Amino acid sequence: MSMSPEEVLRLIAAERGNAICIPTMTTAPAWRAIAPDDLSVACVGFMGGASALGLGLALARPDRRVLIFDGDGSLLMQLGSLATIAGAQPRNLVHFLFKNGVYHTSGAQEIPGGLTVDFVVMAKGAGYRDAFALHELSELKSRLPRILTGDGPLLVELFTTLAAETPMTSPGGTPFHEQVQALRDKLRT
Amino acid sequence: MPESIPASLIIDTLKTTFREARGGASPEPLGWVLSVPDTHQRTVLAALDKEQAIRVLTCATEDEAATVAAGLYIGREPCVLMIQHAGLYASVNTLRGVAMDGRVPILYMIGLLSRERDRQPRESRHSMVRFCEPLLDTFGVPHARLEGPDDVHLIPEYYRRAQERRGPAAVLVGLETI
Repeated sequence: MSMSPEEVLRLIAAERGNAICIPTMTTAPAWRAIAPDDLSVACVGFMGGASALGLGLALARPDRRVLIFDGDGSLLMQLGSLATIAGAQPRNLVHFLFKNGVYHTSGAQEIPGGLTVDFVVMAKGAGYRDAFALHELSELKSRLPRILTGDGPLLVELFTTLAAETPMTSPGGTPFHEQVQALRDKLRT
Repeated sequence: MPESIPASLIIDTLKTTFREARGGASPEPLGWVLSVPDTHQRTVLAALDKEQAIRVLTCATEDEAATVAAGLYIGREPCVLMIQHAGLYASVNTLRGVAMDGRVPILYMIGLLSRERDRQPRESRHSMVRFCEPLLDTFGVPHARLEGPDDVHLIPEYYRRAQERRGPAAVLVGLETI
């Protein structure tokens, strides 16, 4: 069984409180609609950067939780960030990995290793405090309160279907530099 | 002739730079050095190991380092990147996508490993030295060379320049630090 990314994002949106969120690639259009104009900055235009962007925010703002909505193809582009995050040990960082086995945006070509790539093992091997995989929305629902309050860094591998939209089918949104400035302004205090 | 710069001078200058960025406040950490270890600046990195006021985050790649810098900037924490020229080449897409398109002020401190003491970098026998300044020029990144202890004032100057232009700026470390 797999979850739809939109269902996952709606569930997280309802529970996240004042957490900073970093969507990337196929979670970006959906998150834009689900959580408009809030404490988010989308990683689009530098694929693979969501985890490092989230790390910087988590280190700068230890008083807030930082939620990364990464993709499997995206994380493979900066896989070393698992070790960098683990080395920094930010307690406030949750790394959600939306796993669909393909590069959806560019035409759904299979990622290297497809669905067999085990990011849970990788995160644990890198030194994350915890990592686990979820297949069902009901599992996520029951574990989400703990995910959003426990100590990180935590990686949650989410087996998902393809998103309804990608940055190619639903382009637009606020330009990255405006998102940067808007979130910086909101984090003034 | 270029001269090597003592690590302690660079660290003191970074402290001043970060303090100024915070409007004179002195919390700990004062600021961050995001590093993919650079042979050329290794004495600085070694000295930073003993520093409480500046926190060092070692990153696996220069792409990560520049993107972590963007997160720190959004969260209002001052930082600099400490990398070498090869790392600049490796992370050009992040220079473009994060620092330039995101209008994120990032000061790059770039070690010119293998730079010959008696030649201008653009005349170096080593491609990794020769292409650094032309690459920065191509991307419109303002840069200056630290050719000795008298040039460390360029660190805060280019830090401020990055902030003012809301984009990247770079200082190139001409010879190995001591």
